[in-house]
Amino acid sequence: MTRLRDQGPTLLVATLAAAFGAALLQVTGILAVVIEDSGAAESGTVRLLLGLVAGVFIVIAVYVSAVVTANTVATVVAGRTRLIALYRLIGSSARAQRTTIAKEGLLVGIAGAILGGVLGSAVAWAAGEIGVLQGSLPRFEHSLLDPAVLLPMAAVVVTTWLAAWAGSRHVLAVRPSQALGNSAEADLETVSRRTGRAVAAWILGIVGFALLALGVVVGLFRPEGVLIGLLGGILSFTAIVLAAHRVMPPVLRAVGRAFGDGPVARLAAENAVRHPERSARMTIGLVIGVTLVTTFAVTMESYRTMVLAATADRAELQDALGPVIDATVAVFSILIGFSAVIAAVGLVNTLSISILQRTRELGLLRALGFDRRQVRAMVVLEAAALAIAATLTGLVLGVAYGWVGAQSILGSVGGGPGIVAPTIPWPIIAIVVGAAILLTLVASVAPMRRAARVSPVVALAVQ
Amino acid sequence: MIALRGIPSVEGMQITPTDLGLIARVVSLGKQYGTGAGAVTALEDVSIGLRRGEFTAIMGPSGSGKSTLMHIMAGLDSPTSGRVWVGDTDVTELSDSALTLLRRRRVGFVFQSFNLVPTLDVRGNIMLPFELDGRRPATEEQAWIDGLVDSLGLASRIRHRPHELSGGQQQRVAIARALATRPDLVFADEPTGNLDSRTGREVLALLAEASSRYGQSIAMVTHDPVAASHADRILYLADGRIVRDSGRSTPEEISTYMLAMEQAA
Repeated sequence: MTRLRDQGPTLLVATLAAAFGAALLQVTGILAVVIEDSGAAESGTVRLLLGLVAGVFIVIAVYVSAVVTANTVATVVAGRTRLIALYRLIGSSARAQRTTIAKEGLLVGIAGAILGGVLGSAVAWAAGEIGVLQGSLPRFEHSLLDPAVLLPMAAVVVTTWLAAWAGSRHVLAVRPSQALGNSAEADLETVSRRTGRAVAAWILGIVGFALLALGVVVGLFRPEGVLIGLLGGILSFTAIVLAAHRVMPPVLRAVGRAFGDGPVARLAAENAVRHPERSARMTIGLVIGVTLVTTFAVTMESYRTMVLAATADRAELQDALGPVIDATVAVFSILIGFSAVIAAVGLVNTLSISILQRTRELGLLRALGFDRRQVRAMVVLEAAALAIAATLTGLVLGVAYGWVGAQSILGSVGGGPGIVAPTIPWPIIAIVVGAAILLTLVASVAPMRRAARVSPVVALAVQ
Repeated sequence: MIALRGIPSVEGMQITPTDLGLIARVVSLGKQYGTGAGAVTALEDVSIGLRRGEFTAIMGPSGSGKSTLMHIMAGLDSPTSGRVWVGDTDVTELSDSALTLLRRRRVGFVFQSFNLVPTLDVRGNIMLPFELDGRRPATEEQAWIDGLVDSLGLASRIRHRPHELSGGQQQRVAIARALATRPDLVFADEPTGNLDSRTGREVLALLAEASSRYGQSIAMVTHDPVAASHADRILYLADGRIVRDSGRSTPEEISTYMLAMEQAA
């Protein structure tokens, strides 16, 4: 079906999420078998713990992929406005049109889950075989036909379906008359006033930040304060995600202003917030990923500084602890970082689609005297505005949450209330910033070339 | 009337378009799409000169090649054969970046579908050609633009975005943008095609006034006899050739001629 072609990005995201989930569960399964074979007494507990940790990361990845999918579907719908309007004109109901798109989501979700499940299992199997060949794992008997793998696959199918339904709500706003005449771009994604969402965001935000503060205070006396802080972190971060359409545009505007006042920079900055809802959804996935990575890294780094200080007189203990903490940070950063990769894929795709939808406007700019270099610069700056805004927000939030985490765990260590200075893990920050630059370049290559090829004649043509 | 169609070879002569009182000129213009059996001839041996300060309409049924002619004259498309001048500049020899500068500084556009930049307000759209040039308008240019904004009735809308304006208002913004740099030539492509007839008449009167009062040269492509009746001169195109060159005409005369042309075909 040709209509499914523009759902390619959705398929990619669903496949990535399912592959991640399947690989993680398969690796967990292999590790559990290996540990059981080694005859350790507490192997049951280890298995449970491994499963829990894997579950948390799978939930994060599936959540991010749902946000990304809702966004790509909304962008696809915006691109199909004319076609949908035509169907409406001939007599199709808005609901039927929306159901079609949700059905596409279901199909794409199933395809992605199967592809991802196979791919993820293959990766886990290959990793296990390599481990055995290298001698770092003993020979083990483990079937890859683990029914547990069906869980993340089912989760991917359901979330892709639901996300497609959520992302397709703008179908309802398409008027049949849009199939006729005026070819001005329909602005389907104006910020709607959804009081329910706003109220939920405010309540979650207030309660969340209050709990964060409480966590820090309790943490001055007892390390259990971190549990209160964790709850506060989850609630307040959910509030930020819910309010993304209010939080992200000002950040995007600020970043855009930093680009200067030339026509190219101004248009790029305006384009980045042209559809505030779309921009918010495009960036929030990346914000989630960067925040999680940074929070974790800052907490661990502060913890490590603390431990190293406390064990300053015992060099052999330091030598033993250092690598363990490093390895933990590395493994967890990669696991969390995967959700950032999914978000980045979404950002790249949405940017490409939304620039393709602007062919006519690009033609107009060329007709008015933009040269190719300026068009290319405009696209790169737009991608940069999105990537920088998401990364900065994620870094700021991550450092703040990370400090709260470190403070509430470590505030009571050493006998009395103390303030822990946040230790910022510069290597991780450098990696995140490097990834943002890379993302900007990757995100802009294809649309940049397409955009520069647009002929000014396109602006004169009547659709 | 300057009849260029009979001149056999212009290249040898040392006459510039300016000497002839022309703002744009095409000689022996041909345009083919595709090659071999599937080739389509859009323009064949077209030679015309547009006079400075005049409002010229290019009339013709759909498929007559009028849009192609305009695209080539504006440097948006390249001809298969023949030459094109805007002012004294031979457009056919220009590189892409030189064409970009030509469009930025010496040509203005008014489109059927308005084509304003949706992310910029009215002021931003009108000032865009200056911004692209990286310069601020001089005092005298600014006074001209302010005058345009006032006379087009846009002063109260200056901070509005295109989607907050009616079709007629959007087209007036587009006209202000096209006139802002006082270009050599403004190209208008069916400027009333998306407007109701009353708003359409207002827009045409504005274009005619820009030409009669400020000496702005305008080339308008249209298939609407009422629109063409606002022009000082009407060129008729059929099957890629100029078939008639007449002065100001009433809509009835234009319709009669168009009908006769249809029946002869």
